[in-house]
Amino acid sequence: MSPRRAAREPWPFAVALALCLAPVLVFAAPFTLRSEVDARRVGLQDQLQLTLTVEGSGAPDEVPLPPLTNLDVVGGPSQSTQVSIVNGRMSQARSYTYVLRPRAVGRAEVGAARAGDQSAPAIPIDVVAGSVRPREPRGQDRFGQDPFGQDPFGDPFEAMLGRRRGRAVEPKLLMEAVPSRTRLHVGEPLVLTYVLFTQVSIADLQLKDAPQYAGFWAEDLERPQQQGQAATLGGEAFTRFALLRKLLFPTKAGALTLPPASFRIGLARQGFFDAGGAVERATKPVTITVDPLPDAPGFSGAVGRFEVSGALDRQTVPLGEAATLRFRVSGTGNLKWIEHGPEVVARGAKVYPPQVKTDLRATAEGIEGSRTWEFVVVPETTGTVEIPALSFSWFDPAAGRVVSRQTPPLSLRVEGGTSAAGVPALPGAAGARVATGALPLRSQLDPHAGSPLLLSGRALAGLAAIVVLLHGILLLAGRARGLSRGTPRPGGGASSRSARSALRELERAGQAGLSKEQAAVLVEKALHEAFGEIADEDDGERARAVRALLDEVRFVRYAPQLGDYSDKIRDLAARGRETVRKWA
Amino acid sequence: MGLRRPAATLLALGLAALTPAFAHAQPGVAEERFRGANEAARSGDYPKALSAYAALAASGAESASLYWNWAQSASARGAQGEALWALLRARELDPTDRAVARDVQRVREALNLDPAEIAPEPLAAVGRAARRFRLDLLAASLLLASLLAQVFGRVRPGPRQPGRAAGVLLALGLLAATVPFAASFARPTAAVVRRGAPLFESASPTAEATATLREGEVVPVLEASGDWLRVEDGAGARGWARTADVRRIDAAPSARD
Repeated sequence: MSPRRAAREPWPFAVALALCLAPVLVFAAPFTLRSEVDARRVGLQDQLQLTLTVEGSGAPDEVPLPPLTNLDVVGGPSQSTQVSIVNGRMSQARSYTYVLRPRAVGRAEVGAARAGDQSAPAIPIDVVAGSVRPREPRGQDRFGQDPFGQDPFGDPFEAMLGRRRGRAVEPKLLMEAVPSRTRLHVGEPLVLTYVLFTQVSIADLQLKDAPQYAGFWAEDLERPQQQGQAATLGGEAFTRFALLRKLLFPTKAGALTLPPASFRIGLARQGFFDAGGAVERATKPVTITVDPLPDAPGFSGAVGRFEVSGALDRQTVPLGEAATLRFRVSGTGNLKWIEHGPEVVARGAKVYPPQVKTDLRATAEGIEGSRTWEFVVVPETTGTVEIPALSFSWFDPAAGRVVSRQTPPLSLRVEGGTSAAGVPALPGAAGARVATGALPLRSQLDPHAGSPLLLSGRALAGLAAIVVLLHGILLLAGRARGLSRGTPRPGGGASSRSARSALRELERAGQAGLSKEQAAVLVEKALHEAFGEIADEDDGERARAVRALLDEVRFVRYAPQLGDYSDKIRDLAARGRETVRKWA
Repeated sequence: MGLRRPAATLLALGLAALTPAFAHAQPGVAEERFRGANEAARSGDYPKALSAYAALAASGAESASLYWNWAQSASARGAQGEALWALLRARELDPTDRAVARDVQRVREALNLDPAEIAPEPLAAVGRAARRFRLDLLAASLLLASLLAQVFGRVRPGPRQPGRAAGVLLALGLLAATVPFAASFARPTAAVVRRGAPLFESASPTAEATATLREGEVVPVLEASGDWLRVEDGAGARGWARTADVRRIDAAPSARD
C-alpha cells in the first residue's frame, strides 16, 4: 500500500500496525533495564565503564550493582536522568554509571543486573595484560567527558574551528512554577507544579538547584501525566509539560515566597549538523499570602475536612481485663501534623496513653487518610464505665471557621471477677497510669509502689554474718555436748550421733543370726557408746539402769551355752534401745 | 527446752524486720497536694506543678508516680534533662515500672544520649535488679529460716538431719544476699538537669569553669559538699557542679534543690 493510499484508507494500515504492536504492548514491562559496558576486552591497567539504565514510568528509584567477578569498583555510581520529549510524548531514563578496574588477567564478568521484576544478562569481559585502550588526550577526564564530543555525526566545522558553533536561533522554552492558589490559611495544602513550555524537542532535563521551601512543609506528589498539551504564550504555540509537583503546607502566616528553581535542559539534535546543546532556565519566585488560623478553645490545629468516630472493641469486659477505645479522625487536610488525641477520662477506669496508628497518603487535595488513637481502658470496679463524648476541632477552610465534632458517649459494662486479677499487661502501650489530656499524668501518688530495699546491702551482710555466727555457735555447742557425752561423765548424755549409732547396733544385736556372745558384745558396746563408762559412785537412776543392763548382758555373754538365749538377747536389745532413747 | 526461747525471739525479730515492707500508710495530705500539682500541670502552669512536685518529694512523699508526673511536666516545659532525672529517680524507686523504663529511653533519645551515658555505674543496675526481685527480703528470709532449721534440729533430734536443710538454706540466703551486698558498692550517681551546666575547678561560685556537662548525662558522684557535688563526666573530666544543675538519682531532692 502506497502512503498516499494509506492516507486515504487509514483503517487497514492502523489495524495492521496495532496487530504488530499488540504483543509488545501487552507484554511490555512498565520499565526496562539495560546493563552495558564500554568495552568487552580491557587491559589490566585499563578501566571500564558500566552503565545501568532504567527507562519507563515504573522504574524503581534504586538499581543495585550486579555481582562482579574479577572486577573492582573504583568510581561511581554517578546518576543522570534524561527526559526526552519527542513528538509530544515524554519519556524518562535514569542511568547509574560505575567505573570498574580489573583485578587480574583472565576472565571477568559483570553479573546479571536486576531491578524490580526486570533483569539484564551478565556481560563477560576479557582481561589482558597491559593496556589495550588508546591513550586519552591530556587534561580530559574520560569519565566526565561530553558524550557528544566524539560524535561521528557531529558538525565537522566544529573541530576545525575549535568551538561549538551553536544554534542559529535560541530555542524557545521556559519553565514556570504554577501554584494552585496564592492565598490560603496556615495548614491548607497548596500544589506547586513546575511546567515546561517548549517549541523544541528535549533530550534531557535536570533540576539544577533544588529549592528550599522555607515556611512550608513539603510533600512529594506522584509524577504528573507525561502527555504534552498545546498551549499559547504571547501568541506563540508551545507544548506544555507538567514536570514536577509538590504539595506544600504553609506553617506560618504572612507573605511567604517560593524561591526560584533552576533546571538544566538538554536539547535534542535538530538536524545532521546540529549537536543539540543545553540551556538553563529558572522559574520566577512566587509569593503566597498565608492567613493565620483563628484562635479557638480546643482547636487541634487540624485544617481540612474531617470525620470523627469513636468505638470500643467490646461492650462487656470482665473486671481485671482491658478494653480498647479507638478514636478515629479521617479526611483530607494536614492530619499528619496532629499528634495529640483527645483527653480521655473515665471514672472507675484507668485509661492509658494512646498508641497512634496512621494511614495517610499525599494527594493533590492534601494529606488524605486517617489517624487513630487507641486507648487501653482498664476498669477498676464492676458496673458500667461511662466514657464521655470525645471532641475534635479543626479549621474548615471552606466554611472559614473552626468546626467541632463529638463522638457519642460510650458505655463499657464491667462484669464480676476479682479485683485481685490486677491490671493486665499493656499491649505495647506506653504506660502511664492515667491519661489526663495532653500530659499522661498519673492520678495516684502510690507512695508504696516499689518500695526501696528494706535492708541495705551492708545491713544484709551484717545479718548474714550474725546468722553464720549463730550457726557456728550452735554447731560448736552440739559438738561439745557430744564430746562430753562420749567420755565418762556422771549424768551426761550422748551426742545425737552416738545415740543414733548405739541404736543401730542394738537393732543389729536383736536380729537373729548372731551367737549369744556376739550379740552381747554388740549390746555392751552400744551401751558404752551411748553412756560411756558409768562411774561406780554414780547412784543415779540412769546409772543404775545402765549398770543393771550391763550386768545382764555380761551374764549372757559368759554363761555356758545350756539353752537358746535368743529371746533373752532380743529382750536385752529392746531394753537397751529403750534405755538409750530415754537416757542418752 | 532451753533453745525454744531463742528460736521464738529470732522469729519475732524476723517478722518485726519484715513488717514495715507490707505496712501501707493511709493517703492524706500528700495525695491532696499531688492532685493539686496535677491540676496545675494540666492547666499548663508547669512551674507551679514542678514546684509542688519538688515540695512533695522533699517532704518525703516520694513515689514513682510523683516523679513520673514531674517528668511529664518538665518535658512539656522543655526541660528534658530534668525530665530524664525525674524518670531515673522514678526507676530507682520502682524498678518494676515498665512505663518509666520506656520513657527513660524516649527522653534519652530525645536528648541524643547514648545508653551508656545514662548508666555509668553498672553496679547500680545490679541494685535495681535486687530491688526488683526483692532479694533483700528473700535473703533475710532464707537466712532466718536456716537459723530456725538449725535450732529445730537441736530441739528435736532424730534420725533425720535438719542440719543439712539448714545448710542449704544458709547457702541460698548467702547467695541471695550477695547481690544487694555487691550493689551497695555502687557509687552514687546524678543527672545533669540543665543545659550547659558548668563544671568548676572547686566548690565555689568564683571558681573557674573547666568544662560543660551534657544535659541529661548521668555522672558518678565522687564527693558532696553543701550545694556542690564533685562529679566525673563521660570524658573523664572531674570537677564540682551545683546541685541545682546536677541532681542525685539515689536520693530525694532536698527543699533547696
